[in-house]
Amino acid sequence: MEIEDKQKNAEDISAFIRKQERRWDSIRVSISVFMANKTAVAGLIIFLIFIADALIVQFLPQMIGINNPNLLVPNFMDPVPLPPSPQHPLGTTYPGIDLLDGIAKAIRIDLAYSFFVVAIGASVGAIVGIISAWAGGIWDEIVMRLTDIVFSIPYLILALAVGFILGRSLWHMSIALALTWWPLYARYARSQTLSTKELTYIEAAKAGGVSSAKIMFKHILPNVLPPIFIQISLDLGSIVVIFSTLAFIGFIPNANIPELGYLTSLGLNYVQTAPWAVIFPGLVITIFALAVNLLGDGLRDVIDPRRRS
Amino acid sequence: MKLWAYVVRRLLLFIPTLIGLTFIVFILSHAGGNNLVLAEYINPRLTGEARTLLIQKLTEEFHLNQPLYIQYFYWLYQVLQGNWGFTTTPIFSGTVITAIELFFPNTAMITVVASVLIWAIGVPLGIYSSVNRDSVGDQVLRVGSFTLYAMPIYLIAVALILALGVYLKIIPFAGVVNPILVSNLSWYSSGISYPTHVLLIDSILHGDWIVAWDAFLHLILPSLTLALAIVASIIRILRASMLEVLEQDYIRLAWSKGIAAKLVYNLHARKNALLPVLTLYGLTVAGLLGGAVVVETVFSYPGIGYWTTQALLNNDVGGIMASTLLFGLILVTANLILDILYAFVDPRIRY
Repeated sequence: MEIEDKQKNAEDISAFIRKQERRWDSIRVSISVFMANKTAVAGLIIFLIFIADALIVQFLPQMIGINNPNLLVPNFMDPVPLPPSPQHPLGTTYPGIDLLDGIAKAIRIDLAYSFFVVAIGASVGAIVGIISAWAGGIWDEIVMRLTDIVFSIPYLILALAVGFILGRSLWHMSIALALTWWPLYARYARSQTLSTKELTYIEAAKAGGVSSAKIMFKHILPNVLPPIFIQISLDLGSIVVIFSTLAFIGFIPNANIPELGYLTSLGLNYVQTAPWAVIFPGLVITIFALAVNLLGDGLRDVIDPRRRS
Repeated sequence: MKLWAYVVRRLLLFIPTLIGLTFIVFILSHAGGNNLVLAEYINPRLTGEARTLLIQKLTEEFHLNQPLYIQYFYWLYQVLQGNWGFTTTPIFSGTVITAIELFFPNTAMITVVASVLIWAIGVPLGIYSSVNRDSVGDQVLRVGSFTLYAMPIYLIAVALILALGVYLKIIPFAGVVNPILVSNLSWYSSGISYPTHVLLIDSILHGDWIVAWDAFLHLILPSLTLALAIVASIIRILRASMLEVLEQDYIRLAWSKGIAAKLVYNLHARKNALLPVLTLYGLTVAGLLGGAVVVETVFSYPGIGYWTTQALLNNDVGGIMASTLLFGLILVTANLILDILYAFVDPRIRY
């Protein structure tokens, strides 16, 4: 009896080790697939640089000589944009704002707000999607029609309308976007749940009397997360672009907020004599959006084996 | 399910979507309390007794003392009657319906021109990119379309203005026409042309070719910007779907029968590769509408989008709410038509 127990134990342990090894193998394969995609690695590096900039401005602003990370520092003595020089490595924009300083601060604000929007959108969307697919029937239909309705208003217009009601500020803009951003995640989570629901191990869990809530969040959620993570990385770029667009068309009134779109719009009147005032902030937005898109593509290669080549 | 049953089902689902859409707009327009609604109708200089009386009269007229869900039906009734409220912006003051009549044709004009450009640029480039996979041209196109895809629309506009308008000086980049040309025309006054309100069409109707050429030149940059903003995603989708189609057995059969490459690509492969592009065209409509807001604002082009941002910047609730409703309606209808069209186009899909 004892010997049998020990034998079983040893088998369990070796099975456990094999499982761990297999898991480690699959992670290693995933990393090597991601690393093989040069552009995705470049995207990851750029993304990390942006994150590092945001963290430094947040926690150690003095280290890079920034005193008030939430405001732009105008210099009305010399308002006309100056070309890049040793004092101002990227030049200045109207009214005398140092572009390097402004961009460093703006990256933190833009990243923070877009993380907020994506986090709210993804978590609400995932929960709604999983529950609606699990419950099925009339609830599913209602939720899907609801996503149809939210999809039917261009987010730019809805952001304008919400901002109009609540007052125009970055904070209200992100609330408006968060309200419109969940349906896409809900659809992804729903379709993933629908296919996972039919698998045998879910059936086994159901037969074993596991509660619905536990099945949804312990067994289904991990399957739903990969496509959602890809979408998060893609959306970070789109939301920074939308923020800057809204700021550009005058959504942030007479504010001194460091925001990339606002920085771009400041230089617009000088575009003929001082193109750098528009080009540099615009380039930063484009590079960020490009980087997260490349990163998302790389992640998709890792998760979807059909795309591996 | 039969095709007609699918169409009927879609049409029936159209109704709750519309109700939801109008309800969202209604909630938005009443979220700020009644003052926002009243502000449209009251002259701000009116004070004292007269103001109180007018507020009373308006409250009565718009049923503002009723619960919100009852107000919604009164509001919906007014909207269905064509009473969309008033708008006061620097570019136009009057009823919303008149504003839409004046500005919508211009927006329709650039979106149509942009759509034509999107197909004319996107389809050949997408097919070239997939047929010459991994060639230098393909790499350039992929990098280019990725960058365009990541760029905010206003940056594309600024780049085009800098390149074509400022440095090369070949294309004008503000407004719809050179004001000197139209100063003495009988059919043009204060920025509005008659009878169609689209200057290019009107000038052709009146036989004024100089104005028509100028209007055409002014149309190029806004529609090119709009097209470039969307063409990137078309190229990417088309490339991916074309590559998938080229792997299929029937294409291999076509090759083995010795059919010329041109015929295989253009006749056999392209039709099927275009299907995913068509499905995603619904998203493109949304992109066009959202993009039109930015493009029209950047180029001061008198369309619905320019009017919307003017309404926003001048705290004009009537304009904002009406444009939210209008954009929503266009998008919902376009998606419905595209979905039904898709069911007709793809014989493999039966609902």
